Amino acid sequence: MPEDLRKIRERKDMSINKVASRSGIPITTLIQYEKGAQEISFRDLARLAKALLVDEWDINPRSTPPPPPPPREERPARPPLPKREQPKEPKPPRQSPPARETQIAHLLTLAARFDIDRAALEEEIGKPLDELTQKEARHWNGHYMRRVVEEKPPKRSIDRKRAYLPEGVDGFELAYLQEQQEAGAALNFTLFDGQTFEGVVVGFGPYQIVVREPGGDEVTLNKLAIAYYRKAGGAG
Amino acid sequence: MSLGDELRYLRAFHGGGNLMEIEDEIGLKPGTLRYMEQRYRRVGEDDEALAKIAAYYDASLERLQWHRERYRKALSAYLQQALKSETTVRVELRTGETLTGLVRWWDLGAFGLEPDEGEGSLIVVQRHAVLDWQGAATGTET
Repeated sequence: MPEDLRKIRERKDMSINKVASRSGIPITTLIQYEKGAQEISFRDLARLAKALLVDEWDINPRSTPPPPPPPREERPARPPLPKREQPKEPKPPRQSPPARETQIAHLLTLAARFDIDRAALEEEIGKPLDELTQKEARHWNGHYMRRVVEEKPPKRSIDRKRAYLPEGVDGFELAYLQEQQEAGAALNFTLFDGQTFEGVVVGFGPYQIVVREPGGDEVTLNKLAIAYYRKAGGAG
Repeated sequence: MSLGDELRYLRAFHGGGNLMEIEDEIGLKPGTLRYMEQRYRRVGEDDEALAKIAAYYDASLERLQWHRERYRKALSAYLQQALKSETTVRVELRTGETLTGLVRWWDLGAFGLEPDEGEGSLIVVQRHAVLDWQGAATGTET
């Protein structure tokens, strides 16, 4: 019983391209054959039989046309969206809050790079800086930022007001020890338990001081055990 | 002397044990003792924890509370004030001695004191050796 070309091709798991390349028949012609729109010519029948590895009489010369696709179901029309009710009175434009202190400070810093002081800046803006809104401050900061990028004015050194607390460093003591070590000065150490040691500083660190006693012995003193020390003989 | 310095001192005299092990032994939350030993600000507000530490080191709770008032930042403030105003300081040391003089510098671990008796001489006093000072318990932070 001869079969339609498409059924044989699908059973053989071959694509239409493959059949076209193996048989030398154009794809468009093969599509017409598969649709049943055209009868397969005697010459092409032999080619197709060879390409599909079947006998010629296994192929139906005119394929059964495929059933027409079911008609598309039409979607029901969407109901129209309800119209938004317009507010009776238009809202007043939102008032921008007053500019933040940081915005003003930033603006002054930027303006200072162009040698513009507060008074000149206020004149340019047309109002005191204290009356600027956040939106206006953002605008003017952006304006000066762009100028900085374009004109690249020289940077000013910042006058830092931060207090210097030597609590975080032990620089003074280390500098003192360094000075005494370089001078070869003898120091007198008093420990918590009343013991005393005298000698020149050989080395030191944050936790220990190494001293060479007059006899030549080196002693490592733990700072935790030291109460105080001074130059031997009491001189500074 | 601050509570932190006192605790370090007590730990050193009890064999210098590991902080974590001591915390575990006392039953303190990990990091409690380390925090007390290292902070410059006033610490040790939890009297219950302080009592446990005092018991471990065979010290009295009152002693630790006394040191709690003499925190490191209070001493910093005292020294800084004296340095700025060039006023004489008076400090009591753990050795039992009392030193008076002008502060020439101060830093993390020590301060340079020019004693009253000799101009030009300098005593380097270790901060942890200072047991008490004028107005210690009412000192302000820097």
